[in-house]
Amino acid sequence: MSVKYIPVQWNTNKWIYDIVLILSVGIYLWIFIEWGPVLLDHGKPVTPQIHNARAFGSCAFLMLTLILCIGPAARLNQKFLPLLYNRRHFGVLTLFVALTHVGYILDWYYAFSPTPKLEGVLTANTSFGRVLGFPFEVFGIFGLVVLLLLAVTSHDFWLKFLTPRLWKRLHMLLYPAYAALVAHVALGALQDQTSPWRAIFILFSAGGVTALHAAAFLKEARSETTVSLNDWITVCDADDIEDGFARVVRLENGERVAVFRSGESFSAISNACAHQNGPLGEGRIVDGCVTCPWHGFQYRVSDGCSPEPFTERVPTYNLALDGAKIMLNPDANPPGTPTTPVSLGENGK
Amino acid sequence: MSENRTPFFVGYLSAPKGLRSFLLVSIVSMLLFFAGVGWLLATTQPDPGSAGFLPGRQTLIGVLENKPYPMLHVTEGSNRISTGTTVLLSGGGKRGVQSRGKDLEGAVVRISGQALARGDLQMIQLRGGMQGLADMSDTEAPGIDVEDLGKWRLQGEICDGKCLAGAMRPGTGLAHKACANLCLTGGVPPVFVSSQPVEGSEFLLVGNANGEPLTEQLLDYTALFVEAEGRIERRGSLLVFLMDPTTVRPLP
Repeated sequence: MSVKYIPVQWNTNKWIYDIVLILSVGIYLWIFIEWGPVLLDHGKPVTPQIHNARAFGSCAFLMLTLILCIGPAARLNQKFLPLLYNRRHFGVLTLFVALTHVGYILDWYYAFSPTPKLEGVLTANTSFGRVLGFPFEVFGIFGLVVLLLLAVTSHDFWLKFLTPRLWKRLHMLLYPAYAALVAHVALGALQDQTSPWRAIFILFSAGGVTALHAAAFLKEARSETTVSLNDWITVCDADDIEDGFARVVRLENGERVAVFRSGESFSAISNACAHQNGPLGEGRIVDGCVTCPWHGFQYRVSDGCSPEPFTERVPTYNLALDGAKIMLNPDANPPGTPTTPVSLGENGK
Repeated sequence: MSENRTPFFVGYLSAPKGLRSFLLVSIVSMLLFFAGVGWLLATTQPDPGSAGFLPGRQTLIGVLENKPYPMLHVTEGSNRISTGTTVLLSGGGKRGVQSRGKDLEGAVVRISGQALARGDLQMIQLRGGMQGLADMSDTEAPGIDVEDLGKWRLQGEICDGKCLAGAMRPGTGLAHKACANLCLTGGVPPVFVSSQPVEGSEFLLVGNANGEPLTEQLLDYTALFVEAEGRIERRGSLLVFLMDPTTVRPLP
């Protein structure tokens, strides 16, 4: 959290994250580029430019696969939340690796020709009517443009400027981009392979991303209560919510409400963090504030406001107790509206 | 009551003690995972074959034939290209040499450049200007043997002759299709790689039924496994597939 825009708010965890990331990518490229030709022992090796393009391209695909796995993995098990914390650096590094792949391709397959490189990318293969032989490069171009767009807008300035809702929708383009890159690989590099391992790698990657998202969706659907927009709705018994945690209620209109327990008091705020729409209901109360599991943005449970000097605010909801049952008024209060927490023993409805 | 007792990570705070061993295992796992996948994908690349540039510059004398694409029937070879061989010609990069020899059809010329070879397919990438292709038309040109091998239906891949001969490894396949098309539109001779050898050779220069160049009609079919019909001629040591472009079709 910050009250002003700075390029990167470095802290120890971010340093560790980035060092591990760079080391991982470095090891991958070192083994692929330096040791690959030695281990292969071909009579004449793959042309270095093509070999390097393969190394960077496959590395970018692997990185993107892991990026897409982090989100659902963290929903399934909060131990993975540290991987999510600095995910945007993961994304930006992926862009640079992908750009290097594109550089090798442009400077080799599209170089030395009377046709200018970029014109060649668009005109060299126009077999759009075929599956095999389809210009798979267009899928790569789409994926690259999306990665570029997401990296450029990854800073919080753009989040604020575009609003979290629009920013989130923009960044959901990563899913069609990933699908396009699967097609890019499947219709291109994969067609020339004699070993099954690359096909297995692609299937395992795409399948893993799909399976993790499906599992996270099912877990979320099972743990949420969907309720209609009547006057007051029953959330659950007070004892069903652990101190410092929340129960998430999904309203019929799609909005989610996080009902938090702090000691013997209960308060409700929107489940969507004002930062990146992170799931506040999966967070905890830390130092008296609801703390988002994604990036640690904090809000007071009583009024949905971030503590001074921060200015983020989320909508609040009114609660009441009916015996031991917590009742929720589904009409959201404007962001930052103070509410009176209900305590066990009260019957405020 | 919730059973969620996982230590809660907040990015700007120190990692909770209960999470540190998990994070350490995650870091080591990630490094090993990247290393393992890198090793797996690097070591399962197919062999690109033995094609490539031959060391040293080659200077050859022979009879120039321009159709369907420039080739030289060698009458005085070098230590690597023997007399009697027919070699394809190309320029630097993805360029042909049609314009350089257009007035020397059937004449004796001296060429100089870098040789590429894949099996019995040989190509010379000419040097620039007169050093690459010099007129020796004052020397009498010997006749070139042409043998009609009849009509054939072949299955295989249409490639650009230069990358196939070793300018790139691999110089075939769908990942290389755009490059092959750029080579062909630049004037590099197309070569049909037959899945079954024809008269002992699997590489055939491609032209149309009239012996003219055939480039535009091939671009949709390069890098695919295709079937095509046409007449085959042996010109010097090189097979030429005079293809009927209407018979080309991709095979499953």
